[in-house]
This record gives sequence, structure tokens and C-alpha cells, in this order.
Amino acid sequence: MSAAVTAGIDVGSSAVKAAVVRIEEEGGETLLGRGLARVRKREVAEVVAEAFDAAVAEAGVDGLDYVATTGEGEETPFATGHFYGMTAHARGALFLEPRARAVLDVGALHARAISMDARGKVLGYKMTSQCASGSGQFLENIARYLGVAASEVGALSIGAQKPEAVSSICAVLAETDVINMVSRGLSAADILRGIHESMAGRFARLLQSLGAEGVVFVSGGLAADDGLAAALEGALKAGAARGAKPVELERHVLSPWSGAIGAAIWGAFRRRRAGMEGFAWTAKERSRA
Amino acid sequence: MTEPSPRAAVVDWAAQIAEDLDFAAARAHLAENPGRKAAGYLPVYAPREIVRAAGMLPVGVHGGGDRLEIIRGDAFYQSYICHLPRSVIELAQSGRLDFLSAVLFPATCDVIRNLSGTWQLVSPEVYVRYLDLPQGGASELAAEFWKEELGVLAADLGRIAGRAVTGDSLREAIAAYNAVRSLIRELYRVRRETPWRVPSEELYLLLRAGETVPLEAFVERARAYLAAVEADAGRVRDKARVVVVGAFCEPPPIGLIKTVERAGCSIVDDDFLLGNRMIDGDVPLDGDPLGALARAFVGRAVRNSTLYEADPEGKRRLIGERVAAARADGVIFASASFCDPALLDRPMLRAGAEAACIPCIAFQFAENTGQFQQFREQAGTFADAIKLWGGE
Repeated sequence: MSAAVTAGIDVGSSAVKAAVVRIEEEGGETLLGRGLARVRKREVAEVVAEAFDAAVAEAGVDGLDYVATTGEGEETPFATGHFYGMTAHARGALFLEPRARAVLDVGALHARAISMDARGKVLGYKMTSQCASGSGQFLENIARYLGVAASEVGALSIGAQKPEAVSSICAVLAETDVINMVSRGLSAADILRGIHESMAGRFARLLQSLGAEGVVFVSGGLAADDGLAAALEGALKAGAARGAKPVELERHVLSPWSGAIGAAIWGAFRRRRAGMEGFAWTAKERSRA
Repeated sequence: MTEPSPRAAVVDWAAQIAEDLDFAAARAHLAENPGRKAAGYLPVYAPREIVRAAGMLPVGVHGGGDRLEIIRGDAFYQSYICHLPRSVIELAQSGRLDFLSAVLFPATCDVIRNLSGTWQLVSPEVYVRYLDLPQGGASELAAEFWKEELGVLAADLGRIAGRAVTGDSLREAIAAYNAVRSLIRELYRVRRETPWRVPSEELYLLLRAGETVPLEAFVERARAYLAAVEADAGRVRDKARVVVVGAFCEPPPIGLIKTVERAGCSIVDDDFLLGNRMIDGDVPLDGDPLGALARAFVGRAVRNSTLYEADPEGKRRLIGERVAAARADGVIFASASFCDPALLDRPMLRAGAEAACIPCIAFQFAENTGQFQQFREQAGTFADAIKLWGGE
């Protein structure tokens, strides 16, 4: 079977990420294009189309051998197949950081730690509970409340002088904590750092309970948050000092696309494994679906 | 406003009927046919041919699903009893089943048997019959016993309906249900061969509706559905092919069926509404129709957890046989919580599946389960494991 060009679409609750990947017959992968579209109360189908079209346009291809979805993308009408989020993030992480043997996927609604082998096969996972305090959406809400742009959150947090702890369990209580902090005159930087440290503590415990060691790749939208990364480094160091297995955190500028990239690569794998020749799918056909 | 496609029209029709807890379609049919009566039946298998031959409308009573608040039903059952009888009692006590002149309770399990007694207490004016299905294999003695039971049922229903069951009326009913069975076999065949064209949710709704309306209405809609499916090649989806086992009595919520398929599985065989397919093949139309119906059940009932199987290895082999017939990749054991027949069989079935290296997962549901995230995770990771690592 010849080289394949496949697409992955990661439908998240706040953004849809799409990637187009070329997979050579002998197994090498190249990212050809990517797209990202924010949901912002729009119809998901519209957002999916926007991200997908952007990725296909950047890739400069007019046909795809497999369109794979992940996340909440099960009902995408022009998809060939769907992969569970953890499966896709594990493979995407390997593409972006081949040494990774665990992934910390931090998205808008939840976080999960995933362990995997060298092929990207998921070996185990731990997730945050239903509470949203460990999520990107919670952080975004707080930033909005503080009048801080999402892009400023990381730098502000790193520059904090006297961070104060917030409730690490319940988003509602954490929000109450933040309101109290604001009324007490704490700076936005200290508040954000407190939240980052609270989230980082939870994520570090997730990784430790999973038994993660070696290189841990951070995927998902919050991977781009430098403040969270710094807090997480600190939490993991503190954990190691208490006897937890040492881990090395790695991020990538393409971390938010990890799921989409992983889905695309698995799509090519399935095409080859199942002998699915003739699955070509063009953007023109997609628009008719 | 655009007209729905022929396929969407059938699915909409089926959904409306299947989800209607007031059985408006059955009631409307009775109102349009003064003097006609209806007989309800509980899962899994009831000889609907006898009901039809008596001129009555057979109506499947499959519980209230996730759309019925249980107020009175819980008073009749301990917490370790499945959900179906609670919602059936609730349906009855709320007057939703007051159009039934008879109710048949097959020997599915102790709970269904005892429900027949409870029904006699709460609705003494309704004819109740416990169907003591023969167990123990295809013996002439079993066929004779079942024929006698069917004879009693035919006489009783004939009396209630005011129209005696005759050889001719029974032959007509058997022929009619042979046509239904044939159509359902065809629907299952098309789904098995091209599962992306027949979502299991649609198939389930169609069959469920078919147990509430006159047979002719079901046949008409099922044929229209098949024609629409045949006319649309659909878009091939890359999913794991699974057999769902264990949901033969208390039906899973529609959301659960959708969740399993959305998560990356194609259901290519199942035991939902199993009574429709309990008799494998056609019932012969020549000779004594009552005897033919009895022998068809005794000799050709599909093996399932409500029937005794003398050979202990038979249960262990069953899953392998079903998976091979469906060309499936794996099995999902999905049973109602506290379903004794399914859960008692599960260890044997699962051991057989694992011995044959068939991937499987198991979960439990109730007809009113409303949260599907855990099923989504299980089915999604199961599908990925099959698609990416199956055979390792």
C-alpha cells in the first residue's frame, strides 16, 4: 500500500483542531497542515468545517485517504473512523516527542494522565473527577473575571510574588476563593499563580498515581500556558523530593494539535491494517456531506 | 418545510410509536376496529400467531424505558430486582395498559413469572396467562406439551376475542409472521453486511414499533425502510464489529445503543427484542398448524439465556458461534442490572469467549439509565483496542 495522506479532527469543547498528515509507506510522518477554530457558541459542524478546511488548505491536498475524528467528533458526517481521545493523544504525543511514555492531556473540561508504550498503545490512564477546577475552562473563566487576556495568564503567573492557595477540589469553592482574594486586594498575578499551583498539584498527583516516569508530554490547549508548566515543574520536583518517580516534562508548540495529529496517524494505520484502499475523500465531497 | 426522506419518515414513525408510553397507535387501531381486542405480552417470547389467529392485536410490553417516573412500581419490588417489572406495574397502575384484554407472561425468569401473579392481584379483570415454555431440548414430549399449552391459550383467547382460533386462521397468522420473520432476518442481514447503512438505533426502533402496531403496518414500513437502505450505499465507516449479548429482556435505553455505535463500534448482531427472532426460520404451513408452531419453538428456538441447555459446553461455545456467524471482532456483554438469566450465564459465555480469544467487555444498565459516559469510554477504548491491536 502506498503513502497515505490522512486528516485528524479533534473536537474539543472550546476549540476544534484539525491536522493533515502524510504517512510514508515505510512509516515516517510529516505534518502537512493544521487548523484551529474556536467554538464560541457556534454550531459544532460549522466549527469542524472551518478547522478542517484550514488544515486541508494549508496542506495543499485535494484528497484524503482517511478522515479520523477524536474527542467529541463522533458524528462528523464525512469522517471515516473515530478514535477515543486517549488513543489519539498518545499517538500524537509520540509524533511530537518520540521519547514520551506518558501524556498529560489538559483540555477545556478535564485533564487526564495516560501511560503508553513505544508504539503509542495506551497502557493505563487516570482522569480528574467531574469537577471542573482542574480544567482550562475554569482558568479561562477566572481570567475573564480578573480582566486578563488568556495570552497574558502565563506570564503574569510566572511573575507572581506572593501566590495564595485556592481550593483544589471544587470549582465553585475555588471561584469563591478568588472572589475573596480580589476583595482582599490580591494581585491578578498572585491569584493566577495560586490557581496554577492548585491545578499543578492535582496533575502531579494524577501522574504519580499512574506511576508515570521518564518523559511526560503535555498535550491539549493548556500545554501552551507557561505559568501552568512552571507550576507543574515545581509540583513534580516537590513530589520527587517526597519519593515519587522523577519525570521530565516536554511541551511542543503543536501540543494543542496532539489529538488531531494522533487521530490522523491512526487513520493511516487503520487504512493499512484493514486494507482500506479506495477510501479517498475529497474536500468537495466533504462539502456535500 | 422539506419533506423527510422515505427512510427518515419510517424512522420518525417508529420513534414516535416506540417512545409512546400511552400506546396511542394500538389504541387508535382498536378504536378504528370496534370489537377488536388486544393482548399484551412480556419479553422474551410469546406466540403472537395465536393472538393474531384469535383476531386480537398483539402488543409487546417492554417497560417504560427512561421516560417513566416510577411512583407505584417500586412498592412491589425489592431493590435487588431488575427495573422492567417496576415500570410495567407503573404502566398498568397508571392506566396506560387498560386497553389490554389479556396479558401473557412467558417463562423468561422468576420475576416475569411472579409478575403474572402480581398482575392478577392488581388487575383481576384482565386475562393473565403464564406461558410455561418447554425447556430441555427438542423432544417429542416437549412438543406435545407445548402444543397442549398453545391449545389452551388459543381456546382462552378465542373466548375473550369472541372469535375461535381455527386451523385456517392459525395458518394465516403463521404465514403472516413468517413474512415478518423473513423481513427481520433481511434487516439483520443488511446490517450485518453493511452496518453503516443500518444504524442499530433505527433497527431497534423499527422492531420496537412493530410490536405495538398491526403486523401489516410494520411490514409496510419495514419494506419501505429496506428499500430506502438499498437505494443508499451510504458512507463506509471504519468501526469495530461487535455482538451485543444479554439485553434480551429489559431493553437498553436508546441512548446506550447510540453511545456504543457512536463510540466506534458497529453492532452486527444483538439479542434486543429477541422474541422477534426466537424461531429460526419459517414455521411450516402444511399439516397441523398448532403442532407446527409448537415444534418450531421446541426444535428451532435460538439458544439464549432463557432456555435450558443440557450440555455445559454448549454455552461456552455459543459466543464463538455467534461471533463467527456475524463476522464480528468482539463481544459486548450488556445486561440489565439484576437480570438473573443474563448474569448467571455471563461467566460461562465470557469464559467461552476468552477461551476462543474473542475480545470482550461487560457492563450493566437499567432501562432508565440516563448517563452514558462510562459506556462511551468502555466502548470507545474497546473499539480502539480491536481496531489497532486486535489479534495481538
